[in-house]
Parts: sequence; structure tokens; C-alpha cells
Amino acid sequence: MPMTEPVLTKRIPTYPYGDPKDRHAVWYDEYVKTGGYEALAAALEKEPAAIVDTVKDSNLRGRGGAGFPCGLKWTFLPKDYEGQRYLAVNSDESEPCTFKDRMLLDFDPHQLLEGIAITCWACGLQTAYIYIRGEYHEQAVTVQKAIDEAYKNGVFGKQGLMKGKVDFAVDCYLHRGAGAYVCGEETGLLESLEGKRGWPRIKPPFPAVAGLFGKPTIINNVETLACVPHIVQHGSEWFKSLGCESTIGGPPSYGTKLMGVSGHVNRPGVYECDLGFSLRTLIDEYCQGMKGGKKLKAIIPGGISMGVLTADQVDAELDFDIGRKNDLLGLGTACPTVLDEDTDMIMVARNITRFFKNESCGQCTPCREGSGWIYKILCRIEEGEGTTRDLDLLLEIAGSMGAMPGTTICGLADGNNWAVRTIINKFRDEFEARVKPSLVPVTMSV
Amino acid sequence: MPTITIDGTACEFEKGQMILQVAKANGIEIPHYCYHEGLSIVASCRICLVEVWAPNPRNDYKLEAIPKLLPACQTPAGEGQVVYLDSPKVLANQKQVMEYLLINHPLDCPVCDQAGECYLQDYSYRYGRSVSRFEDDKIKQPKKDLGPTVYLYSDRCIMCSRCVRFTREISGTSELCVVGRGATEQIDLFPGKALDNEMSGNVVDVCPVGAMLDKDFLFSQRVWFMTSTPSIDGLTAGGDNIHIEHNKGTVYRIKPRTNPDVNKWWISDEVRYGYKHIHSDDRLTSPHRAQHGERINTTWPSILEEVDSVITRMVGNGATVAALISPMLTCEEAFLIADYAKGWHVNRGQAIIGIGPVPVDGEDRTYPPTAKPGDANAYTVRAEKAPNARGVKRVLAAMAGDGKGDLSEPMDFDAWLEAVKAADIVIITGNYPNDWVPKELTRAVTKKFVVHVDTLTNGLSVKADVVLPSSTWAEKSGTFENVDGLLQVFEQAIEPIDGAAPEGRIFTHLITLAEGKPLTDAPHYDAGLIRQRLAEEVGLTEFVDTISIPVQIQKAEPDVAIVDL
Repeated sequence: MPMTEPVLTKRIPTYPYGDPKDRHAVWYDEYVKTGGYEALAAALEKEPAAIVDTVKDSNLRGRGGAGFPCGLKWTFLPKDYEGQRYLAVNSDESEPCTFKDRMLLDFDPHQLLEGIAITCWACGLQTAYIYIRGEYHEQAVTVQKAIDEAYKNGVFGKQGLMKGKVDFAVDCYLHRGAGAYVCGEETGLLESLEGKRGWPRIKPPFPAVAGLFGKPTIINNVETLACVPHIVQHGSEWFKSLGCESTIGGPPSYGTKLMGVSGHVNRPGVYECDLGFSLRTLIDEYCQGMKGGKKLKAIIPGGISMGVLTADQVDAELDFDIGRKNDLLGLGTACPTVLDEDTDMIMVARNITRFFKNESCGQCTPCREGSGWIYKILCRIEEGEGTTRDLDLLLEIAGSMGAMPGTTICGLADGNNWAVRTIINKFRDEFEARVKPSLVPVTMSV
Repeated sequence: MPTITIDGTACEFEKGQMILQVAKANGIEIPHYCYHEGLSIVASCRICLVEVWAPNPRNDYKLEAIPKLLPACQTPAGEGQVVYLDSPKVLANQKQVMEYLLINHPLDCPVCDQAGECYLQDYSYRYGRSVSRFEDDKIKQPKKDLGPTVYLYSDRCIMCSRCVRFTREISGTSELCVVGRGATEQIDLFPGKALDNEMSGNVVDVCPVGAMLDKDFLFSQRVWFMTSTPSIDGLTAGGDNIHIEHNKGTVYRIKPRTNPDVNKWWISDEVRYGYKHIHSDDRLTSPHRAQHGERINTTWPSILEEVDSVITRMVGNGATVAALISPMLTCEEAFLIADYAKGWHVNRGQAIIGIGPVPVDGEDRTYPPTAKPGDANAYTVRAEKAPNARGVKRVLAAMAGDGKGDLSEPMDFDAWLEAVKAADIVIITGNYPNDWVPKELTRAVTKKFVVHVDTLTNGLSVKADVVLPSSTWAEKSGTFENVDGLLQVFEQAIEPIDGAAPEGRIFTHLITLAEGKPLTDAPHYDAGLIRQRLAEEVGLTEFVDTISIPVQIQKAEPDVAIVDL
């Protein structure tokens, strides 16, 4: 059953359900008037374990990019552990071309706070930190105002959740990042939150066992937490009626998803659709087609680290299977960037690698050195100074770095790897036209 | 005990050990940069990646490959696992990492102090590729003056972060940090701080490449010209294990020698840079005597014979011999000096024996400051600045207690100063790295026949009747007993500087003369033989049984034939 009314964007007018001109920040009074905090009240009636089971049963998958089942993550917390536990809310939305969480923070911060309160109750987390991206100045002000309101109205604070309705107090703090992409990686985020350099940690131990300040910690994306109140309120069956099943035997992609489209389309912006929504429909109907009527050339489906789709692959369905079906790393943040026929793919590749070169934290050798090397080669190719040998070299360098082959600690290099490899493989003609022929092959003699 | 197979060798391990640690314990080399036994594990250099096959509990414990390469330094060894160090994936990664590390490295080995003991060189040779495919411009980074002891050549750095971890985890001072991101990141000082702590020199040792360089050693020697002699710290009571590195009779630097029971991997800057007095201009380089208010330089045979004849004459007139034995001397030398002194008191009173002043500076300081006793990486800077106060006392007490009564109980310095009033002949040994002679000593021995055996010019050496230049610990071998009662042997690193002789040889010669034999009959001074005498004559069997003798590490043979031209 496709979605008939907006879920996450219930209070945020969004095409085709409303007009974005009517958007405004929803503060506490309005939020409550429109049914807000009812889910929290309902949650507090239930046993925490029952809420975890509901979320687990709903198959809610993380909206931050990796798509890890949220309920399963919650069950990794150590049982019979009485001490301090934390919730870290990942609002470090620093993936280029991704701006879906920003809308939730801008216009409906209480939806997130309600999700936080329910999650803290369900998992027994006493403290929540919202780690917000450093560049989100206005959003930080908005969220802080919402947190203050929530405290004033007794959602958080010493007296216990919901004005002391239960004897479980939750504190919620906003923490601003300092502008590093890698701090959106969950363990890099924890390091940064602890006041250290944002170098991702080696796993295991996983954060659910030893996370923030060495204590069990749950890390969830803003959009994931915003889904939680709706699941609690309407039940897992309702949630499962949205979205789609996997057609290749993988785990299902239930629920709705915010999709922020940018690039050469007539109406860029954030839309809410079912998972499994057709990319073509998203571009042609929601975004009203290509800008200037130009032809589509490529689509970066969800943040630049996932790889690239060609115009032939525009019928792809935006669900968690997209990676396996279309030779991509995954769905990512589901914020497609649409590129028209005039786009220089070499420039795109060079620009993407420039980002990864700048944002590599510098911990692991392959990513630190490789990202800079790839960028230099692509600069050379863009200027027409490259050779065909460089293309093979690029593929080899890119293929050798990342957490998937196991050569780096975190997945930042995988993003670089997939972006470069898919762009070169899918647009090789364009690259070959730009480089000079080389008679010396690149070999990796072992 | 569980077993893991690494590179075809079955290795036993204890639960919790990492694959790299198991391999090291079994003599299997896995290349690594960021891993250091004494520091936390960060697994960031990625050259130690290995391919692991593990029994899969979900598939009837059949051996299955783990698809990712795993860092050997950070992956705990598991029962039944098989680790491959030479699979195509592992070798490809090693070559790739070596290539990565060198793309922004200046490759300035000809002017780099680390050349010859650099892991970039070693691993390039063993695991790298012969050419780089990098054609673009390298990133240039500055040289930095970090503090009184260390320079940082940033562009040689491979960002293993060992130095940063050292200042955080061992010295506890956190002066160093990483700034910047990606390939342009650098090690730098924390704003407003300098790398100025008493352990600072260790960052040079932990640096696997030529980024951290010792100001003291900078450009002074190529490392392959130097000989490294295993030795023991001769300045403080800790008994730190060190290597004295020297060439053509000159000591150029001191490096720590790993000993998990004593100094772990570290030494303090005091030990590291405290060798300067060996080549000081103030060294005594010629035996000399006082004659009518003047100092007359003379030769060794004539001065030894003169000392012997003077003492023989005075003892014939009933004179008493006193000796002050410095805690800077070895156990063997203490034995010989006391043996010499008591030789004059056969059936006639006793020689007055004292132990020289034991300098103490403040209190012991342990690093890291939060260390608990027994911590595997803790290091203590000893306040007691003499290497062998306990060893000297051990030998002297055993000799005095042999029932013959020809030797007094070893007195401390103050008691000896009082007792020495009764003596007519005074033998004073020094060997301190500084001017140590207190006024009371000079005053107490005036108008006595003073034989002063010392290394540096001081207030007494310009007054004593006879001055015999002796040599520092680097110029001799012997045994020191450290604060924990550990007897450690060290070997002679360099020949005694011109004109000086070790106390052991001086007193072997004097004993020969006292026995009425000519100097040419004097036996060769051998610390090992003296240790046997200590066991046989004094009953200190520990000098033969439980003593720890250093192992000289043989330098690797070159794998190319050396041809004489």
C-alpha cells in the first residue's frame, strides 16, 4: 500500500501534499495541538521491552546511509546493566547533496525530540546528545529553542519523562560539531563528542557495548528517530504497509523516506515517498523534469559516496536493494543529485575526490595518501595531461582503499572508492576521450 | 593452550593476545609502523594487514576465509585460526601501503639521520615495490623545533602517531597532537606548549622513520659506522638497560635497550644525554703528584711504584689506611679497592672503609603519572643519582663480615669522615659526572697522604698528593646493582681515553706491587674473573649464579658480497 498522507512531513508542507511556502517552525504548542507527544504518552504506558520489540518488528532501517536495522541495534545494549547509557543523535548531515535532516530540524524539531524521548525510555538511556553539524547555525538555534521548550513543558528533566509520568529522567543536550565530514561516522562522532579529534574508532567494541565515554551508547540518525513516534503510535503493521519488500531476497525496505533532490531539475527540494519509489517518477513528476528540458546524463543516488547511476538506470527503485541491483554502494541518504547532458563527468569526479581528500581524517594510510593521489591524478586528467595508464591506476588505487576490502578503519574511503570507480567505469568513454594514450600498462606485480 | 597457525608455524598463545604479538613472540615478522608494545593500539598504518582463515561455528567449524584483510596488531588470536602473511591480497596491500607512505615522503635518505635504521627503508626493501607510480608534486611540510631535545621533520612523517601516544600515555604531558586533515595533516605542538619533559628523548626512539630527530645526535654520525654496546645506565640507581653507540672511541648517543623488568622501552633524558662527561675537557688525562706545591705530570708505572713505596714506608711506621669507595664504581672494583686496603692491615688493626656520598635529587618520579605498581609500560626516574650504592655496600659488607677483622664495616660518608681522622693514608675514589668533592672532605684529609682516583678535575684533584685518572663506566665492564637489587653486568663500550685507566686495572696493579712483584707480572683485569673471586673468596655466589649478562645483538650480515678493491 503506497503512502496516502505524509508521515514525517505531516507538519511540514511538502509537494505533492502541500506547498513549501507554508512551512514554518512548529513549536511546542502547535506540535501538541497537532497530535504531538501522544506517541510518547502511549509509549510510557508500555513496557520498554515492548517498544523495542515493536520497532524491531517494524524492520525500521537506519536512515543515515547504512540502513542497519534500528531495532536490532537497540537490542545490542548489554542486558542487566544499571549504569549510565547514552543516546547520540547523529545530526551531522555532512554528506554532500544531502539535506533531508535539515528540514526536520528546521521545521519540526519536536518530532525529533519525541523520538529521542521514546528511544531513551525504550532503551533505558538517561542522556541524549544531539550532535549537530557545525555549519547548521540556524538549525542549532531552532533545536536548542525546542529543547528549552521541552524542558519547560516537562518532557525532559529531573522530574521524569512527561512531567514525571514515569520515574525515569532523561536529559537532552545539543552539541555542535566543528565541521568535519568524518564526525558523521558514528565512532568519529563519539570521539568528537568526547572532545577529542574525530578519528573513527576501531570496532569491536561496538558503541552499544562501549561507546560514549566508554558507556553503552545508541547512535541513530535524525530521520530514524523521527520515524519512531509514528511506529509506536500506529504499530509495526502500519509501518510495514508502507515501503516495499525486497525482490532479491534481502531484508525489506519498509516505511517512507525523505528524498532531497538537487541538481539540474526544475523543482529541487525534499520530498517524502515510500521506499521503493521510482527514481524516474521522482524526477519527472515530483521535480517536474529536467531543467531547460535537457537530457539526463547521470544521477548520484544518495550522497556522493554511493557511486553514480547512468541515464539508462533511471528506472531504479529507491530502496535498500538499489546498491546490489545497480552496482552502487547502497541507498545512502537517498538524496539524489541529477546531472544533465552538459555535465563534465571528469569534473564531477574531480570535485568529489576533492571533497574526500579534504575530509579524510588522516588516520589510515590508504585513505590519507590515496585520496590526495586520486585527486591529483584527476586534476591532471581534467587538464588534458593524463594518460590511459592513469585511468587504470585510478581504478587500482580506488579499489584498494576502504573498509570493505579491509584496508581502512571506517567507510569514508569506501565512498571515495565507489564514487571514483563507478564514474570511471560507467563513463569510461568520456575519460578516454580526454586522456592521451599510453603504451605502458599499469601492472600490480606481486 | 590454544594454538594459532601463523605463516605455517603453529604458535601457542594466551587469550587476549593479538596476532602480531603472538607472531613477535614466535619470531615471525609481520611489518608494522603504528604498533608499539608500550603504547595503545590504533591500527592506523595498515601495513600489518593479514589474511585470516577462521573456523566457522555456523558451518561445523570448517575453516573459512574472513573476506576482509585484518590488522594483525588489533585482531585477537583465536583458536584454530590460520594466518597467511604471503597471500596475494596481503602482499598487494603491503606494496600498496609502502607506495602510499612514500608518495609524500621526500626520499632524502642521504641527508637523513635515520637512514640505516629506518623502517621505511627496511620495509621498502622487504615489502615495497621498486618504483613509485606517483608522478605529481609532493606535499612539502615544514621542519619544526619541538623543544630542547627534538626536531620534527614533518615531511618525513608517516603519521603513525606513536609520538603523540607517547606524550599522552607515558610522559602524561600531552604536548604533541595531530593538526590538519588528510594528507596535509601534521604532528604539532599543542598551542603554547613545548616538548619539554624529562622523557622527551623517547619520542625519537618510538618514531619508526626520520621525522623525530635528536638534536644532540643530529648530523653527527651515520648510524652504520657506529658500534652498539649493550650497557647499563651508569648515572642513576635505576639500572636502565641501554645501548652505548660509539665509533672510534667516541660515544655519540645512548639508546634504551628493552628490558621488561627494568626500564621497559624507555630511558629518561638524564640517562640519554648524561654521557657528556665522558668526553669532557675536564677529564683527568695524566697521573700527577704534588711536589713542593706544584703538580708534576708523570707516567703510570712510576706513579704506581711511588704510591706503593710511600704506603709501604708509612705502613711500616704504623700508619692506618682508609678508603672511600664511590657508589659510581662497579662491584668488582669495590672488591679490589677494599682488598688492597685490607692488605695493609694483616694482623694489624683494620682499614677504614666508607662509601662515597650518594647524591639524591628530589624524589622518584614514575611515568605515566597515573601508573600503578606492576604496570607493564611504567618507567621510574630515580632520585638516587648513583648506579651502584647497593652493590658496593653488598660487596664491602660481605668482605667485612669474613671474620678476619682487617676491614671495618662499610660506613656511610659522614661516619667515614669522622673515622678517617685516625687514618694516615687515604684512598679516595670519585667517578661522579660533576664536581662532587665537599669542603668537609678536603678539610678532613689535609695533612694525610691522599691518593685520589677520579675522572674529572675537582677541588680535591688539585690538592691530593697523588692523582690517578680513572675511566667512566662506558670505558670499562663490571656489575651494577640497581634499586631493586638486580645485579646487571655491562660490557666495555670504548677504550679508556688516553691517559686514563679503569679503577679495576689501577688497583690490580697496586695489589701486584704490594705483593712485591714487578708491574710486568700484573694479571690482566677481567671483571668476569673478579666475579668468580667474589663467589669463591667472599661467598657472594649471586655474582656467578643469578647475575644478568647482556646479549650482544649481532648486526645483520649484508646480503651482497663485500669486495675489497
